[in-house]
Amino acid sequence: MIEGRTILGSIGLAILVVFAIVAILAPHIAPYDPHQMYRPLEHPSSRHLLGTDNIGNDILSELIYGTRVSLFIAFVVSVISMIVGTSLGLIAGYFDKLGFLIMRVVDVFLTIPRLPLIIVIASFIRPSVWNLIAIFLIFGWLMTARIIRSEVLTLRRRYYIDATKMIGGSDCYILWRHILPNVVPLVVVQFIMEATHVILAESGLSFLGLGDPIARSWGMVLHDAFECPIIYVSDIWMWWMLPPGLCIVFTVLGLTFVGYALEETLDPKLKSQAYGREL
Amino acid sequence: MNLLEITDLKTYFPTQDGIVRAVDTIDLSIRERETLGLIGETGCGKTVLGLTILRLLHPTTTVEGTIIYRGSNLLKITEAEMRRIRGEEIAMILQNPTTSLNPVMRVGEQIAEAIRLHQGLSRKDAKEKAIEILDSVRIPSPSGRVNEYPHEFSGGMKQRVMIAIGLACDPALIIADEPTKGLDVTIKSQIVTLLEEVTEDTAMLLITHDLGVARALCDRIALMYAGELVEYATTREIFENPLHPYTRGFLGSLPSNGLVPIPGMSPSLINLPDGCRFHPRCDHAKAICQKKHPDMIEIEDGHFVRCFHA
Amino acid sequence: MHQISKLTYYLVILFIVLSINFFLPRVMPGDPLSYLTDPGADIPARITEEKMEILLAYYGLDKPLSEQYINYMVGIIRGDLGWSIYYNAPVLEVILGRLKWTLLLVGTSTAIHVTLGILIGATSAWARGRKKDMGLLIFILSISSFPSFFLGILLVIFFGIKLDIFPISGAQTAFATYSSPFEEIFDILHHLVLPAATLVISHIGGTYLLMRNSMLGVLGEDYIMTARAKGLSERYILHRHALANALLPIVTMTAMTVGFMVTGTIFVETVFAYPGIGNLLYNTVLYRDYPLLQGIFLFITVAIVGANLIADMLYIRLDPRVKHE
Repeated sequence: MIEGRTILGSIGLAILVVFAIVAILAPHIAPYDPHQMYRPLEHPSSRHLLGTDNIGNDILSELIYGTRVSLFIAFVVSVISMIVGTSLGLIAGYFDKLGFLIMRVVDVFLTIPRLPLIIVIASFIRPSVWNLIAIFLIFGWLMTARIIRSEVLTLRRRYYIDATKMIGGSDCYILWRHILPNVVPLVVVQFIMEATHVILAESGLSFLGLGDPIARSWGMVLHDAFECPIIYVSDIWMWWMLPPGLCIVFTVLGLTFVGYALEETLDPKLKSQAYGREL
Repeated sequence: MNLLEITDLKTYFPTQDGIVRAVDTIDLSIRERETLGLIGETGCGKTVLGLTILRLLHPTTTVEGTIIYRGSNLLKITEAEMRRIRGEEIAMILQNPTTSLNPVMRVGEQIAEAIRLHQGLSRKDAKEKAIEILDSVRIPSPSGRVNEYPHEFSGGMKQRVMIAIGLACDPALIIADEPTKGLDVTIKSQIVTLLEEVTEDTAMLLITHDLGVARALCDRIALMYAGELVEYATTREIFENPLHPYTRGFLGSLPSNGLVPIPGMSPSLINLPDGCRFHPRCDHAKAICQKKHPDMIEIEDGHFVRCFHA
Repeated sequence: MHQISKLTYYLVILFIVLSINFFLPRVMPGDPLSYLTDPGADIPARITEEKMEILLAYYGLDKPLSEQYINYMVGIIRGDLGWSIYYNAPVLEVILGRLKWTLLLVGTSTAIHVTLGILIGATSAWARGRKKDMGLLIFILSISSFPSFFLGILLVIFFGIKLDIFPISGAQTAFATYSSPFEEIFDILHHLVLPAATLVISHIGGTYLLMRNSMLGVLGEDYIMTARAKGLSERYILHRHALANALLPIVTMTAMTVGFMVTGTIFVETVFAYPGIGNLLYNTVLYRDYPLLQGIFLFITVAIVGANLIADMLYIRLDPRVKHE
């Protein structure tokens, strides 16, 4: 069981590294400029490995550059969400009155369904990468704040916090030296979960047509494919729909595996003596 | 006539840090209607011994030796046969009643289900019997309380419920694991009296670290240290003529004897000391104690010790 | 007491949602009308003068903010959610017309998904660490990586087109006449299979993992040992002791599950052209039919929040420890 965990985590990490490399080296790897138009709806050939879409863009290049968009959005949103979420979580856990207020806000926003609100907001604004990032940030920090606060409350009950106070440690010192290190593993797991959600949400939004039409993410490519009336005819879907979809799938898979591998390391409730015999 | 005879019992757990030798070659026997006390500090392996008898351990645990109960070796019978014995012939009262009771199941049902399983009674009859048993463990208004949930009972009451579950099918042997742990003094003595009553016709293996309780209930006492037995005799002999330094230290730590602690800490069950396992903490340790592991020897009639200097 | 404060909490949320709905178009940079008349934006629908008038009246942008707000709130209470530009009908009417299909889809999917999730989650936990568990875990984790719309597309392609077993669009065969009610029911079910399967498969991961974790937590509890010590069979322990305790968190999760299902249905209905509210939303976004869009948002949000409320109430009733607060 321990081995299973590590194997999964390693596979996940490998996948993510591959995508990261593609994203970083995109201009060097992509055969063409994704906005350059060639003959539309071409089948895969030696010149266009994945063929071209309905306006003649090389699909492979679109996907490679799309990696940049999808990963960039996910990364930026996750990093900022973690910083904001952790900070607010720490403050909320440590200072009670402020914490109460913050948690009310968190509760309200967690109860409101994410996607419908995101869709509505997105349809009111000009679609662009930074706008999308802003929208996702509205919700990204919530869960992290709640989890971190909960952990801080638990940690506070432990005697050594009081002991440190007794010997004169300031609140800042306590937060930094004692609480933060315990909180880091949780943040890492949340980071991965948030990244997963963002990738799925962003591709979903783009699929609905709300993504950035210029910096085309995988979701946008799928959107165009779906909107094409002859998509199911003569196997066009094979090189226009499957590849972008699979890119999304593998990225999320990589993240999920890594997240899962890390989660089991941290959750104490999964006692090792829990078992069931043959039924 | 030995009801239960344990020979050469070993229970080892494989862990990431090494093999935990929780039970390391133990010989024990319990006669019909006898109460045997198993005394030791927390972490010496006594609960594991109890669980081993009923084969309740995780499947990856290594168990060796023999446990003969009424002619059959419990370690060799099938799981189905073992299930028949659990609860009906040998019952265990587990530690910590607060977590050992299912919080979303009524108390009466937790007693009755064992009765229905082993004695084949109907729901109605089993419930009647459950009420009777609750009464016998001195729970007031049993016909009302039988429908309540565990969180509605106090700590002492929950302990009685655990005892009731153990007694439900009239077993020949009860293994009671720390039945008085965490209870305050008055409740403790009530439980002790109760146990005395209900085990008149039943054999009991009493696992505890409380010598006072052991003295009140047990016919014979076995002291366990670091996975093995170090002394084994009648209750009277243990209290009047303790031979092993550990036993003496244990008795010395009683409040009535001055609360003198035994220096040092009990060893890890993975890295055991060479020779006599108690030697690092023993006042009388000599050179031989560090090198050779003492055997269990019968010093006087029925009084066994594992020490070179008894 | 508990229930009353929960209720107020949800009413407050409702109020906030309504307010967000109100302020959203008025707060966004550039009002919605300018976006619609922007020659740069590619909106398929044509906005005529007449429709502009309706929009203006709907938003009441000429009146003071407080008056707009009050009109809005009063309108909501009276069931007036505005007028759809594209469908040229009251928003509420348009939504209600589509509601039944979404209810059917989400209803069946939730039922199947929860049952399956519980079953395989429990099986996995029971076989913890062994091949069955690892296999299931990897399988479910992998499946959950598929966005629902992509999964739907895959199902359309393989089962709808390649194998031609199931229809790939609509809730019923268009213009069909049925000789008996059974035939109609069969046709509806026939159209329901793929969309429901998509919803179930893409969301089952959550419930599965929750059940697995919950069950593992329960299996490590002392009272399971007590049950074993009584000589009860493993199967009995699973059903009578473990499941009841492990299921408690699932109940609260089910409300969230419905929430996910409803948002998932937006994609699934789109892919399968299933005539529910999700598909409606897609078209609405495409045409930027703002009143309808906001109406749908309101509708969906209220439904999901309502589901949360019900789940909370249910939980209080189910856990005997909480009852006696």
